[in-house]
Amino acid sequence: MSRNGSLLSLEGLSVSFFTDDGVARAVQDVSFSIKKGKTFALVGESGCGKSVTALAIMRLIPEPAGKIVGGRIKFRGRRLLELKEKQMQSVRGNRIAMIFQEPMTSLNPVYTVGEQIVEAIRLHQRKNESEAWADAIEQLRRVGITEPQQRVHEYPHQMSGGMRQRVMIAMAVSCNPSLLIADEPTTALDVTIQAQILNLLDELQKQKQMSILLITHDLGVVAERADDVAVMYASRIVETADSKLLFAEPLHPYTRGLLESLPRLGFEGRRLHTISGTVPDPLHFPSGCKFHPRCPKGCKDKRCRGVEPELREVSKGRRVACWYAAGYESEEEHK
Amino acid sequence: MSSKKTKDSEWGLSFGEMVSHEFVKNRLNVVCLIFIVFLFAATILAPLLANDKPYMIRIDGEAQFPLFKSLTPSDYSVFLAAAVGIFQLFLIRRNRRTVEPSLRSGVLWHQIAVNGVVVLVGCILIFIFVPRRLDATGYKEMAASGEASEAIFAPIPYGYARTDLASREQTPSREHWLGTDDVGSDVLCRLIHGSRISLSVGFVAVGISSIIGIFVGAILGYFGGKTDFIGMRIVEIMMAIPTFFLIITIVAFFPRSLLNIMVIIGITSWTGNARFIRAEFFKLRNQDFVHAAVSLGLPLRSILFRHMLPNGIAPVLVNATFGIAGAIFIEAALSFLGFGVAPPTPSWGQMLSLGVGVTGRFLWWLTLFPGLAIFFSVLAYNLVGEGLRDAIDPRLRKSI
Repeated sequence: MSRNGSLLSLEGLSVSFFTDDGVARAVQDVSFSIKKGKTFALVGESGCGKSVTALAIMRLIPEPAGKIVGGRIKFRGRRLLELKEKQMQSVRGNRIAMIFQEPMTSLNPVYTVGEQIVEAIRLHQRKNESEAWADAIEQLRRVGITEPQQRVHEYPHQMSGGMRQRVMIAMAVSCNPSLLIADEPTTALDVTIQAQILNLLDELQKQKQMSILLITHDLGVVAERADDVAVMYASRIVETADSKLLFAEPLHPYTRGLLESLPRLGFEGRRLHTISGTVPDPLHFPSGCKFHPRCPKGCKDKRCRGVEPELREVSKGRRVACWYAAGYESEEEHK
Repeated sequence: MSSKKTKDSEWGLSFGEMVSHEFVKNRLNVVCLIFIVFLFAATILAPLLANDKPYMIRIDGEAQFPLFKSLTPSDYSVFLAAAVGIFQLFLIRRNRRTVEPSLRSGVLWHQIAVNGVVVLVGCILIFIFVPRRLDATGYKEMAASGEASEAIFAPIPYGYARTDLASREQTPSREHWLGTDDVGSDVLCRLIHGSRISLSVGFVAVGISSIIGIFVGAILGYFGGKTDFIGMRIVEIMMAIPTFFLIITIVAFFPRSLLNIMVIIGITSWTGNARFIRAEFFKLRNQDFVHAAVSLGLPLRSILFRHMLPNGIAPVLVNATFGIAGAIFIEAALSFLGFGVAPPTPSWGQMLSLGVGVTGRFLWWLTLFPGLAIFFSVLAYNLVGEGLRDAIDPRLRKSI
C-alpha cells in the first residue's frame, strides 16, 4: 500500500463480542488508511467502537469473547491479521506502539519507571544494560521530564498523572515505532497538561517521522492536530475527510451535531447544543441508519429506518454515510 | 551518572521495602518473626546444641574435637549454606546504600550467582573430603572417670539416637530438662533435632505446592475460556478428594521417607494456590499496565511472571505461611499415626505419639513439650502470615 503513501490501511474491519446476552457488533465494516508521518483522528462518543478498532490493529482484542470477524489490516504491506502471535510480538512496541487513556494504571506499580523503559528497549534493540539505561534517561529527557537521572529510579506512585503519561509516551516511542496509537491520551489529565502532552506528541512526530492514530472524543483536539479525521458512530464510520474540510463543512448530521456541541468563545450565556437521545446499545442497534432515532433533521422516512446507508465517496477525499448528505444520491445515480 | 547518593531514602522505597516497613510496625509480628528466627537457628545448629560428643576433650594431654569430626557432610553443607545465606542478606542491605538502583538488580543477580556457585562447590568438596565416621567412644565415661583431664560438652550432652534403658520414661529433671522417652532418649535433644524434619517438611511442601499452584493458576487466569473451564474442573476434582486420606493411602504404598512425605503433601495441596492466582490474574488481565505490557510486544513469560505475578502474589505469600503451619500439622499427624519418618529420626508428631506409654501410662511430658513446639511454631507462622497480609494490603486492616 506504499504506492499512495499510506502506512496502515484497514479494509472492512469487523469486530464482534460474543456475550451471554447476545452478539455485540462493536466494529462493523471500518475502512480507513493512515499516511506516513501524518496524524489520523478517530472521533466518536464513548462506546462507539474506536478503542476496539485500536485494539484490533494491535491484535489485543480480549479473546475468547471478542473476535475479529472480518476485514483486513495492512501495515507496511504486511497483513497483520494473518501474522502468527510470535511475529505479532515483534510488531508490537517495535513498529506499532500504543499509549493508553489512564496513566495512573498503565504503568506497573512494582517496578521503577526506568526498569520498565529498559525492558522495552532491551526487548527490541541490541543494547546492553548500561546503554539501555542511558537511553531510558535520554528518552525521559526528550519527553520533558526534569532531572531524568533521578526520576528514572522512581516508582509510578511517586509521579503525577501528567508525568506518568510522559513516561508512557517515552516508553512507547523508545523503539522508534512508525505508528503510534494514542487512545484518548489526554482524557484523564488536567486541561493545562492536555495541551502540553499534545504538543509533545506533535514534536515527537516531527522528530521521528511517526504516524499517529489519535483516538479521542474531543473535537477541539482534532481540529488543531489531525490531518485526516474519521467520525465513528455506533460501530461504523459515518464520515471521513481531510480535517479542514470536515470542520468547514460537516456533511453527516451527527458530525454537525458534535461540532455544534462544542463550546465557543463569544457565545456566552447560551445553552450548549446537545444531541438528544443516547448512544444505542451495541446488543440492540436500531434498524436502518443507526443514527435515525437521534437525527435532528427529523429524516425518519422509510429509507432511514429501513436501509443502512453505506460509506460512499461524495467528492474527492470525502466519504459519508447519510441518505440526505449532499451528493450522496446523485453519486448512486451516476453508477 | 555523576551524583553520588548515600541515603537510600532519596532513591525511593521499593514495594518490598514498603511492605516490610508496614510489617514491623506491629509489635506482635516482630515477636513472631524473632521466634521463627530462633527456631531456624536451633534447627540449623541442632547438632552443635544437642550432641553426646564433646566439643573438645583432652586425653593424655592431647586435645581432640570429636563433635566436629562426627558431623556428617550434610551437617556441614547446611552450615555453609546458612552462612552464605546470611552473608547474602548483609550484601543486599549494603547494596541499598552503595549501588545505583539501575545497576542493583544486575549486581544482585551477580552476587547470588557467585554465592550459589560457592555453596555448590563447597558442598561437593565437603561431600568428597569430609568422611562419614561412626564414633562410638564413650567420651562421657572417660570424662567421668578422670581419664580425660578436660572436656567441654554441648549444652545438651545427648545424641538424638541414644538409647539408655536405665533412664527411660523419666520426668523432667536437672539432668534431662524435658524428661526422657520410652527408650531413654533426651526429649529436649529430640525436640531440637525434630524441628529439622518439621520445618523442612513445611518449607519444601509449601514450595512445591506454591510453584505448581502459581503455574497452573497463571495459565488458567490469563487465558480463561475453555482452558480455564477444563482446568478448573480438574482443580475441583482434586479438591473433592479428602487430602489427608489420600496422603495416608499414598504413604502406605511408598517407602517411609521424608522426601516422599514432602512431595506428597506438596502435590496434594496446590489447588488453593491455583485458585488464588487464577482469581488475581482474572482481575489483573484487564488492567491497563498488562495491556501496555502486551502492546510493547513483551513475551508471554515476562507478562505472566514479571509483570502480573508480583501484583498478584500477595494471597499466595500469605497462604504459604498458613501452608507451612498446615504441613507441619500433617507431618505431625502422619507421624502420630505411624506413617511418618522412621525412628530413630525424630519428628514432633512422632514424639507426641509416644505420650501414651507402652504400659498405658500417660507420660505428660512426652505430649506437652512437642505439643507446645507444634503449637507455638504454627501460631507464629499464622501470625506472620496475617501480619504479611495486612502489610501488603493496608486497606484490609483499616476496614476491620
